[in-house]
Amino acid sequence: MLRPEEKAYCQALLALKRKDYVGAMRYFDQAAPGFADSKEFNLYRETTRLLLVVKDKLAELANEDRIDIEEATTNG
Amino acid sequence: MSQERVLKSLEQVLEAFLDRVVAYKQPRLQVLEGINRLDEIARTPSQSTEITDQIGEWFAANNRLLSDDNLRAGDITRIGDILGEIKLRLDLGTDAPPAVRKISSEIDRWRTNTGRTEKITLHRPPETVPAPQSTPGPTAAQPRPVVPEDSDSIARFDRFLKHAMDLYTDYAGNKKHLLSVLDDLLTAAELRQNKDALILSGFLIYYLKLGNYKVEPFVRRLKKAEEILKGGRSNA
Repeated sequence: MLRPEEKAYCQALLALKRKDYVGAMRYFDQAAPGFADSKEFNLYRETTRLLLVVKDKLAELANEDRIDIEEATTNG
Repeated sequence: MSQERVLKSLEQVLEAFLDRVVAYKQPRLQVLEGINRLDEIARTPSQSTEITDQIGEWFAANNRLLSDDNLRAGDITRIGDILGEIKLRLDLGTDAPPAVRKISSEIDRWRTNTGRTEKITLHRPPETVPAPQSTPGPTAAQPRPVVPEDSDSIARFDRFLKHAMDLYTDYAGNKKHLLSVLDDLLTAAELRQNKDALILSGFLIYYLKLGNYKVEPFVRRLKKAEEILKGGRSNA
């Protein structure tokens, strides 16, 4: 009786509960056609997407050899 | 602050937000999980004894839904409909095992508590049309059949509109779009041969057509549901 999109939304939230953000994103994408007009749904989906981008970037930074340059300001 | 620190901080904020989303959605999630599981049980072909076990487990896990007061009108309708379908698959003959009878009574209890009791078919006598006025002779003093005021087509249509409105309210409860309501109504018309759902579907299709929606797939389903309904009646 649940529509496939509703099932996918439900699975997405369960994935978030498990902190499986990649899985949650996949389910959000499946659910999207049924919730395109829902601001709440879009907020959760885009937050998850942003979190995955941040995690990717962090992983990228952790893997690359880099030199951290911090600005130093002198008084006077 | 380094780029890494900024990203770490953002990661923590986003994860905390999503944790709160899950906590906020937890009651709704429990309801949806319950409906989802029940739906799976109803759709999976299995023996009566297997269904009995699965439904027993479902009741054990989800009986609290009623007392928790988290169910919406649409949820109650869905659960009631699915339980009704499952009950039809139970082998409730005279030699039915106690477990099957217990599950059947549990289903009845759930539907009674939620106000969704067994469907009652009301029968009425054929309509009678008052005889044309004529000069009554001494022997023509036959009593005319009493025509109830609400047996005319206007009153019947009036009642249908009220039923249709209730039906629409039930199905539209948690939907985001009219097309979703139509989809569920057509499913009800197809699977349960619900005539009111069929008529209401036709009404919605025409409404959407005038709004320039693509309705052909729904028209096909409507025709199919109509054939099923006619077939069911002729076979009855």
